[in-house]
Amino acid sequence: MVKAVIMPKLGQSEETVKIVRWRKQLGDTVAKGDILFEIETDKAVLEVESFYTGTLLKIVAGEGVTVPVQTTVAFVGDPGEPVPDVPLPAAAPKKAEAARPSAAPSSQAGSGIERKAPKASVTPAPSAVAAAPAAPAAVEPQLFRISPRAAKLARESVIDPTPIVGTGPNGRIVERDVKAYLEARGYASLRITPTAKQLAAREGIDLLSLEPKEDGSQIAVADIERLLAERPKPMTRMRQIIAERLTESYTHAPHFFVTVAVDVTELESLRAELKAAGTPYTLTDFIVKAAALALEQFPVVNGTSDGKSIRSRSKIHLGLAVALEQGLVVPVIRNANELTLAEIHARAQALTAKARAGQLTPAEMSGSTFTISNLGMMDVENFTAIINPGESAILAVSTGAKQPVVRDGQIVIRTIMKMTLSSDHRLIDGALAARFVNSIRKNLEEIKLWQRLT
Amino acid sequence: MAAFDIVVIGAGPGGYPAAIRAAQLGASVALVEKEEVGGTCLNWGCIPTKTLIASSELFARIKSASSMGLHVDKASFDYGAMADRKDQVVGKLRNGVKQLLKANGVTVFQGTASFQSRHSIKVEPSGSGAEPVILTAGKTIISTGATSAMPGFLPRHERVVESRAFLGLRALPAKVLVLGGGIIGCEFACMLAQLGVQVTMVELLEDIVAVVDADVRRELRRYMEKTLGIRILTGVTLEDIKADDHGVQGRAGQEKLEADLLLVSLGRKPVTSSLKLENAGLTPNERGFLDVDAYGRTNVASIYAVGDVTGGPLLAHAATAQGLVAAENACGRYLHKNETLVPNCIFTTPEIGSVGLGEQEAQQQGRKIKTGKFSLTVLGKALAIGEPIGFVKWVADAETNQLLGAHAVGPHATDIIAEATLAIRSELTAADLAHTIHAHPTLAEAWMEAAHVLTGEPIHSAPPRKPAQ
Repeated sequence: MVKAVIMPKLGQSEETVKIVRWRKQLGDTVAKGDILFEIETDKAVLEVESFYTGTLLKIVAGEGVTVPVQTTVAFVGDPGEPVPDVPLPAAAPKKAEAARPSAAPSSQAGSGIERKAPKASVTPAPSAVAAAPAAPAAVEPQLFRISPRAAKLARESVIDPTPIVGTGPNGRIVERDVKAYLEARGYASLRITPTAKQLAAREGIDLLSLEPKEDGSQIAVADIERLLAERPKPMTRMRQIIAERLTESYTHAPHFFVTVAVDVTELESLRAELKAAGTPYTLTDFIVKAAALALEQFPVVNGTSDGKSIRSRSKIHLGLAVALEQGLVVPVIRNANELTLAEIHARAQALTAKARAGQLTPAEMSGSTFTISNLGMMDVENFTAIINPGESAILAVSTGAKQPVVRDGQIVIRTIMKMTLSSDHRLIDGALAARFVNSIRKNLEEIKLWQRLT
Repeated sequence: MAAFDIVVIGAGPGGYPAAIRAAQLGASVALVEKEEVGGTCLNWGCIPTKTLIASSELFARIKSASSMGLHVDKASFDYGAMADRKDQVVGKLRNGVKQLLKANGVTVFQGTASFQSRHSIKVEPSGSGAEPVILTAGKTIISTGATSAMPGFLPRHERVVESRAFLGLRALPAKVLVLGGGIIGCEFACMLAQLGVQVTMVELLEDIVAVVDADVRRELRRYMEKTLGIRILTGVTLEDIKADDHGVQGRAGQEKLEADLLLVSLGRKPVTSSLKLENAGLTPNERGFLDVDAYGRTNVASIYAVGDVTGGPLLAHAATAQGLVAAENACGRYLHKNETLVPNCIFTTPEIGSVGLGEQEAQQQGRKIKTGKFSLTVLGKALAIGEPIGFVKWVADAETNQLLGAHAVGPHATDIIAEATLAIRSELTAADLAHTIHAHPTLAEAWMEAAHVLTGEPIHSAPPRKPAQ
């Protein structure tokens, strides 16, 4: 029986979701639990599993298409089963842009493609139809005219003919133009090995764009490979999202930084005691709690500003930056101020494990009001972090290290950990930032507090 | 005390060309040599062995001349006269090198060099009780080479010799035991067998000349065993080695072996003990060789090293190329990197020439390759000269058909490898090679035929079998 694949509603806020990539192609067999496709929200890229077993019979919403949640995006069933015609809901705001990367004559581009279905045009997907003719139209104003012989010479010479000025009718490039161009650019003195030339031709590298070798030797395969390795490649979706969000934050929010040195000697020995007693806590657990308490005391830091208005927030939700191989994610511990240290520990562990497994839901990654980035395990003396968009401050925690410090006029060895607060100056002034970050420091150094809370 | 821009230590095939090149570039150059200019290659290696091998190969051909319609009665040889010819060839070449050094204004110091500091080198004159000379060096090129390894388990006796001592013999023993089936061991074994010496070879590894392609190895071993009658024992150690005035003895597994002479060819070790490297701050690697970077520099910026003393392929032509690179880099003309494509030539019968990537090596690297092989048993020229033995083989990139390796075994394999070396260094594809007109009838045609095979369009061999319809 044919089953409709429905775009799941993964979070509170998402109304529309973009399909980034289909991991199964038309006609592929699908088992329950297989990853069908990847979607992108404003926070992350996620994988969507199939609830059914069968064959992927139809893809309603192709790659690059944005659809509302709860709509049908595909059908799974037995091979040859008739599939209902379902129009693609008009929800995609940026159809043309989305379809462009795959606008080449490729059968997997666009949406609404059916294998061996002569009636496929009955349900034309608006995005695919819109995109295809649009691409050549963009080049229309300056038509590139070149004679077949000239094009052949350019191709055989492995050069890009577009900069050549044509002298033929209507400015058409003819063979003599290519010859003159090659001569003017010193093509004859270009020395390249046969395999390197073949590789350049295959990869569409203009030989005239290659720098001659310093020692006068031939351009070799290794030179072309170096060039290919240096070609820009698209970042993963996750990195693009990171780039977009952090650039926005860093350019919109004027950052300033306040650093304090925390004496964690006693906290570390308490932590060791607790661990020996069978209740292991991470330093991050304590910092989350200490920061939540400080946010209660300084609610302004928990708010946010767009430069014209201030929005305060009654709940304290703490984000924890977690480094992954491909980038980083920020799972959120909700109502951190109301949780016991043991609860914080349990949630932090669960969220971090899910983050590493790539299983965080958008809901688990949204709504934070303040973020902690802990590089303590990376052996750093101090660093600054960029404020998570939608927040006003972020705490960068560095590695605790034994240092000589002065206590009561004596030099003693203590474990010192530096923390730097990055603040949005539109909302937070230096004095407030200093009082806030010192409040976290005092909380961490207040050993009686922890004896009470653990 | 004398000051030089460049001091070269060791006048072998790495050192003397380096000295000449540096002098050509306008540097004042001192060349220190404790024995003879030309080094191992010219005096006790390549040249003398190839001279003797030329005699032995010719003798073997004369004995089988009836197959070519020639009748030679009572062919015989005089090993003493063969050795004299060898000495004449060596003497002539050595004089030539001396003349070249003089003509280029290189000052040659006869003696043993040692470092006093990075820029100060002491030369103790060989033999006579003359005073040591102190040389001040702007830059130094170490090219002291390597010498045969003679491990401690071997008895010290005149019947136990390595290659250099063997070349000093004036008469041939009747039975020879060869310990080590590497390049040197195999070359000597072939020569001796052709001169009627009974040869037994013992090699620890599973096969002889492990450095070469497996197909090539198989072809060589078959010829050595079947045609030359050499006994080859592999995967076994030679133990209980004894030598006395009556002969040498050893045991390989259960079998007792006896001979008149034991020829030891167990690899080479670097010559550095007299250099006092520590005074210059040089640190050899764990095998005693001097590591160098791509530009020939040691861990001390002003000191270069080339040739066998750096490890690597232990080949005269590699040393020469490195010597020229080091000399040019040391003179600051421009910065060159050492060539990495080094052809390997083995003067066994049949000869072996190889360069670049081997088939097994490519498989180990997980690289996708194609091969094209052409047998010399069907090549016109090989048949005409009465030596239809062996084959040539290309190794090429599976996707681009770029030629990456070439392996030849057969007549003049060491000569025809030159074309393959040029083709690979120039990054030619199999199609480029196949479309290059090769003169007929020649042995080098085999490369063209093998390239045709590789691209799937052979003219002179059966087409690749098509899958059954």
